[in-house]
Amino acid sequence: MVDTAAPREPLTRTESGPLAVRLRRAGELTREVLRNPTTLMGLIVIVTLISLAFLAPLLTEPNRPDAYQMPRDWGATNAPPGTPGHLLGTTSTGGDVLYGVLWGARTSLRMSLIVVGVTMTVGTIMGSIAGFIGGKVDEFIMRIVDVLLAIPELIFALAIAAVLGPSFANIIFALSVVFWVKYARIIRGQIIHVKHNEYVDSARVIGDSKLNIYRKDVLPNSVTPVVVQATLDMGNIVLVGATLSFIGLAEAGLAEWGVLVSEGQAGISSGRWWASTFPGAMVFLWALAFNLLGDGLRDVLDPRTGGR
Amino acid sequence: MQIREYVIRRLLILPLILIGTSLIVFTLGRVGGNPIAIYLEHEMTPEEVAQLEDRYGLNDSLPEQYVAWLGGVLRGDLGFSGVSAAPVMDVLPRRLAATLELSIAAAIVAISMGIGLGTFAGARRDRLPDHLTRVFAISGAATPIFWFAIVMLIIFWVYLGWFPVGRSDATIFASIPHPTGVYTIDAVLAGSWTAFRDAIWHLVLPAVTLGYGATAIITRMMRSSLAEELNEDYVDAARAKGLPERLVLRRHARRNALIPTVTVIGLGFGFLLQGSVVVEIIFIWPGLGRWMADAVLRGDQATIMAYVLFTSILFLIVNLIVDILYAYLDRRVVLGG
Repeated sequence: MVDTAAPREPLTRTESGPLAVRLRRAGELTREVLRNPTTLMGLIVIVTLISLAFLAPLLTEPNRPDAYQMPRDWGATNAPPGTPGHLLGTTSTGGDVLYGVLWGARTSLRMSLIVVGVTMTVGTIMGSIAGFIGGKVDEFIMRIVDVLLAIPELIFALAIAAVLGPSFANIIFALSVVFWVKYARIIRGQIIHVKHNEYVDSARVIGDSKLNIYRKDVLPNSVTPVVVQATLDMGNIVLVGATLSFIGLAEAGLAEWGVLVSEGQAGISSGRWWASTFPGAMVFLWALAFNLLGDGLRDVLDPRTGGR
Repeated sequence: MQIREYVIRRLLILPLILIGTSLIVFTLGRVGGNPIAIYLEHEMTPEEVAQLEDRYGLNDSLPEQYVAWLGGVLRGDLGFSGVSAAPVMDVLPRRLAATLELSIAAAIVAISMGIGLGTFAGARRDRLPDHLTRVFAISGAATPIFWFAIVMLIIFWVYLGWFPVGRSDATIFASIPHPTGVYTIDAVLAGSWTAFRDAIWHLVLPAVTLGYGATAIITRMMRSSLAEELNEDYVDAARAKGLPERLVLRRHARRNALIPTVTVIGLGFGFLLQGSVVVEIIFIWPGLGRWMADAVLRGDQATIMAYVLFTSILFLIVNLIVDILYAYLDRRVVLGG
């Protein structure tokens, strides 16, 4: 193939073509995304929060033996913010709020990456099977999807985590069961859309194998909506996950934002606002930043559904 | 037309979804260890435990258990709630009344604020109020409601002392009869101004907190659909015939902009339903959500199953009504257009 054929390709085919073209296109997209100030702000907050997650062991002395357990300073319970050694104060059981905030970022990063990874993979596989095989298999998978969508996200995850018993691993499992559905829908929709496009027909006429068509034509075209959804989910998973651990489904004392808010809740009637406010604000920032970025990406990558 | 076909399709697959949901709920009740664990006591002999297992049909095959359970559900037997020490069906109506009262108040907040703010922003596109509203709308979906509720409590209960927590003042609550279980309505029926004021006073803070997320969703939708309507020809026509801008907005554009906004009411309802769990925990509100939270912490499977089944069906019904409503409104637009 020579480059002269490129203009005849449909616009949606962004991920294929010579490397230089792809890189240039990626550069253009990045510039376009960053032109929106709210998107840029989202990105800056994300970078900051992820840096905090990585730097947590350097900024605070890791607790032994398990760094993800809050250290307890029984000599300084209910210390207000600004106390030496406890910059953001402590809880009624001497938990350092700054430690919880920093290591909570690590916990959240871990949780969202695992759940997004698992749900994206499972959703892509299920959606591909449904879209490609079609017929009865498609019907069957899509009815499962309908049923799963019929139960409100948080309530479903809450119920799953509840019957499995309180643990952070069960929260991750519950979120994975709930969140794959959207990816399956996206991928299936894209496959059906792409399947009917001319260029797949032409690929078939040339004699490309089904798998090759899938790899070269269907998957690259499905990347855009999946990336947008994954970005939004990075935020939403932490939002729902922290809600579950706030309700009491994570191990007590885990360095996690929802757990810390719950721990601080008892003190607010006595005016000790800090233990709940700081970690809760982190959940808000995290979810907000990924929502802003996801929104910005959607506006640029998929102008048809742009929110503005 | 498409919407109509969609609604018919939805109605056709509804039984399937209901069966699917019941299967999921049943599975939930069987994967989490012994379903009768919460009824067991230390001093029970193995024979007594076996008797209990027999009574709840745990020795039957799983399909038999499912059929027996579903039969019970259809007859209105949802099992025995361990956390309430009473049959689920005895507790559910009372809890539901408390949650409904809170949710309806939150919905009133969300719909009035959402449409108002959305109209305000949509009519001032790309100016400062519009940008501020956009930030508010996006942050609404990202706000952890458990945190927002606590911040509201810190400000309005701890520092300002304007609003109380809980659902009522115990003495005032006990002073009137409660035929409906909805405190505000009971107060009106009893003709007690004191009780009514008490009910509203307790309702304001949790309702605003719970309504916040839904307000953001409605605002966002209202804003974009109004901005779209204002670009239509009929708006120009209305302006050209000399109608004041205020009336163009109120009589023409806003009415049409409300139609797409209806579609997000289902989404907003989901927000209210899910948010009620956390809001009821924090504001000590004796509704369904708090009941579920208690059940979750104590592993009370009958209550968990009942709650999930009930809320899912409620969610399905609301979404179906929204779809039908939209199809109806849509048809009116076509006919009246």
